[in-house]
Amino acid sequence: MARQSKPTMSRALQRRENIAGYLFMLPSLIFFLGFVVIPMVICIFISLTDANMNSSGQFVGLSNFIRLWTDSAFLEALKNTFVIVIVSVPTVCAFSLWVSSAIYRMKGPVLSAFRCIFYLPVVTGSVAVTVVWAWIYNNYYGVLNYIIGPKGLGLIEGRINWLGDPKYALGCIILILFTTSVGQPIVLYVSALGNVDTTLIEAAQVDGATDFQVFWKVKWPQMMPTTLYILVITTINSFQCFALIQLLTKGGQGTNTVMYHIYWTAFKLTEQAGHFGYANAMGVVLAIFIGILSAIQFKLAKEK
Amino acid sequence: MKMKKLVAAALAMAMALSLAACGGQNNSSQGSTTPPAASNPPAQSSNPAATGATEITLWTYPVGGWGEESNVQPIMDAFKADTGITVKVDYLAYGDGDDRVNTAIGANEAPDLIMEGPERLVTNWGAKGYLVDMSDLLTDTDRSEIAPAALTACTSTDGKLYEYPLCMTAHCMGINLDAFKAAGADQYLDLENHTWTTENFIKAVEALYAAKKDTVAAVFCKGQGGDQGTRALINNMYGGTFTNAEHTQYTWDDPNNIKALEQLKSMQGIVFDASLEGGDELKLMYQEILDMAFCWNIAQQLDPASAHGDPGKTIGGQEIVCMNFPSPDGTPVLQGGIWGLGIFNNGDPAKVEAAKEFVKWMCASENAAQGIKISNFFPARNTVNGTDLTAIFDGSDSGDIMKEYNRVILPNLGDYYQVTPGWAGARGEWWAMLQEVGNDQDITDSVAAHVAVANALIAG
Repeated sequence: MARQSKPTMSRALQRRENIAGYLFMLPSLIFFLGFVVIPMVICIFISLTDANMNSSGQFVGLSNFIRLWTDSAFLEALKNTFVIVIVSVPTVCAFSLWVSSAIYRMKGPVLSAFRCIFYLPVVTGSVAVTVVWAWIYNNYYGVLNYIIGPKGLGLIEGRINWLGDPKYALGCIILILFTTSVGQPIVLYVSALGNVDTTLIEAAQVDGATDFQVFWKVKWPQMMPTTLYILVITTINSFQCFALIQLLTKGGQGTNTVMYHIYWTAFKLTEQAGHFGYANAMGVVLAIFIGILSAIQFKLAKEK
Repeated sequence: MKMKKLVAAALAMAMALSLAACGGQNNSSQGSTTPPAASNPPAQSSNPAATGATEITLWTYPVGGWGEESNVQPIMDAFKADTGITVKVDYLAYGDGDDRVNTAIGANEAPDLIMEGPERLVTNWGAKGYLVDMSDLLTDTDRSEIAPAALTACTSTDGKLYEYPLCMTAHCMGINLDAFKAAGADQYLDLENHTWTTENFIKAVEALYAAKKDTVAAVFCKGQGGDQGTRALINNMYGGTFTNAEHTQYTWDDPNNIKALEQLKSMQGIVFDASLEGGDELKLMYQEILDMAFCWNIAQQLDPASAHGDPGKTIGGQEIVCMNFPSPDGTPVLQGGIWGLGIFNNGDPAKVEAAKEFVKWMCASENAAQGIKISNFFPARNTVNGTDLTAIFDGSDSGDIMKEYNRVILPNLGDYYQVTPGWAGARGEWWAMLQEVGNDQDITDSVAAHVAVANALIAG
C-alpha cells in the first residue's frame, strides 16, 4: 500500500512545485510576452501592410520588403550600419582582450580602478556621454580642434568639422560607440582570464609552450563562451546604434543607420502613405540580419 | 508550500494589476477620430457643469515664453478661477515634440489642446482628421478682427478652422552690429529700415571675413530646426520661391534659388554647416563666434539665445540688430510664424467643449493680451471684442524693441506657404539638399532631386 501511494504523492508534490514555479515565472513571462514576443509578432504582421500611425492599413504582401531594395536611403543606412558593425565589433573585442590581459593580474585596488575607468561610460547616461562628445567635436569651440589645431599641436590648419563633414562623421560616431562599448567586455574578460585553470597553464609552460601558445591553445578556448557573449552583445548594440545618431547628426553626412531610418520613417514621415508598415519591414530586415550574424558567431564559436 | 503559493499568487496578481494600470483608461469612445459635426453649438458657458469636464490637458511647443511653466501656469490658474476647469500643461520641445504628439495620437492619448502653428495643426493633424473644426467659435467680430493672413493660414482648404490664432511674427536675421562696425561693414546696412540689398550683403560678408579671417555666418543644415531662416535667405537673395502661390507644388528648384545657393557656396566666410541647427547657430552669434544669425525673430531679439541676458545684446554686451533678409532691391518677403490653439478630438464631447471654452477665453477675450505677452510675439488681431491689443507691450522693457520690430520687420511678412501638403517630408528634403550642396555635389542636380521627392510627398 505504502509502495503504491508513494508515486501518487510524489506526482502531487511535483505538480504543486510546478505550479509554484510557473507562478514565479509568470511576472517575467508577462513582460517577455508583452514586450518581446507580442510586439515582434505585431511588427511582422504590420510589415505586411500599408499601415499608417493611426490606421491598420491593408495587406500588401511582401511589397514593403521589395521596395526596401530599391530605396537608396535604406540601402545607404544598411551600408553604414554594416560599416559600424564590421569596424566596431572586432576592435571592441580585440581592445577589451588586450586591456584585460594587461590588467587582470594587477592587485585588487588597481584592478578595480581600471575596471571603474573603463566601465564608467557604460553606466553614464548615453545622453550625457553624447553631450560631452558633442562638445569635444564642436566645430567652433571643440576641445579636439583646439588640441590638434594651430593653438595646440599644430597638426591641422583651421578647423575640422568633425560631425558636419561626411569624411569624418561616421568615424566619430564609431569612436564614441567604441568608448561606450568596451567597459562590459573588459570586466567580463578580466573575470574570464581570472578563471582560467592555472594548472593547465603551468602544464603547458612545463611542456615548453611560448606565451602566445599558452594564450592561444589554453586560455583562449576557455574564454570562448565569454567571447561569444561579447561578440553577440556588441554586434546587437552596433546594429542598434541610434541615440548617438539622433543626438549628434540626425542621420546626416553619411551617418544614417537602419535604426535611425526606422525611427525617421515611422515618426517623422507621418504624411507618407504606409510609413508605419514600411518602417516595420525595415525592423524585420534588421532583426533578420542580427539573427543571421549571431547564428554565424555561435556556429564559429562552437566549431572552435 | 502554501506560503510559497500565496507569495507567488500575490506576485503574479501585483504584476498583472500593474500592467493593467500601465494600460491607462479603457475609454471605449477614445478610439474615435471622426471630427464632430461642424454644426456643434459653440461653447458659451463658463460653468464647468455645463461643459461636463473639469480637467483638460494642453501640450505646448516653446512658442516664445510659452515654453516656461513660470509664464504659463498663472494663466492656467486664472482660467481655473474664471471657469473651474483645470488645464494641465505639458511642455514640448521642437526636437522631439512631433514624435511625442504622433505617438500619443497613435495610442489614442492625444492631449485635449495643443499650441503650435498651421504647418502642424492645419496641414498635418487637422488634415488627417485628428483635430476639431473650431469655425463655430468664430463670430463676425472675430472674423473682422483677426488678421486675414493669419485666419487664412489657420483654415484648411475646405474651410475648417483647425487653429485659433493667438500670436504671430515675421522671422528675420540678426547681426552683431559692433562686429560690423569694427569691420567697416555697417556701411552696407540701411539701419533706418533694417534692410540691405543682396549686393551689399555680399560686400558685408567680404568685409567681415577680411577682418576676422574666420566664419562669418553658417547656412545650418543638421536638421530642420530653424530652417525658416535658410529658406528665407535663399529665397530672398535673388527673388526665388519655395512653393507656388496655390501651395500645391514645391518650387525651390527655381533658378533664382540655385543662383543664391551658388553665390553662398562661393563666398568666403559663409559655410554650409551640417553640425548646426538654427538653435545652435543663434547661440554661436550670441557667443560672438558668428557675426550673423539667419534664425532670428522678435523673441530672440528680446531674449537672445533664451539666455535671459540683456535684450538685443550678445554675451559680451555687443549690440544685436534685427535685419530683413537681403534681396535684390532691398524689399524682402519674410517667412511668417503664426501660433495658436488646436483641439484634438479625443472622443469625449465634454472635453472638447471645455477645450473650446479655453480657446475662447485665451484667444478671443481680453485674456489674449496675457497669452501674447508671454509669447513675446505680436497679436494675431489688433483688437479683441473692441479692446486694443496693439499697445500691450507699451511701457514695458520690451516695448520700444517691439515697436521698432513692428515698424521695420513685420510689414514685410509674406506668404504662409508652410501649409503646403507634405510639409514635414519637404523640410527633411530641404536640409538634406543643403548638406549635399555643402559637400560640393552638383547644386542643380541636388536641388532637382530633392524637389522631386518633396513634390511626390504632396500626393501622400
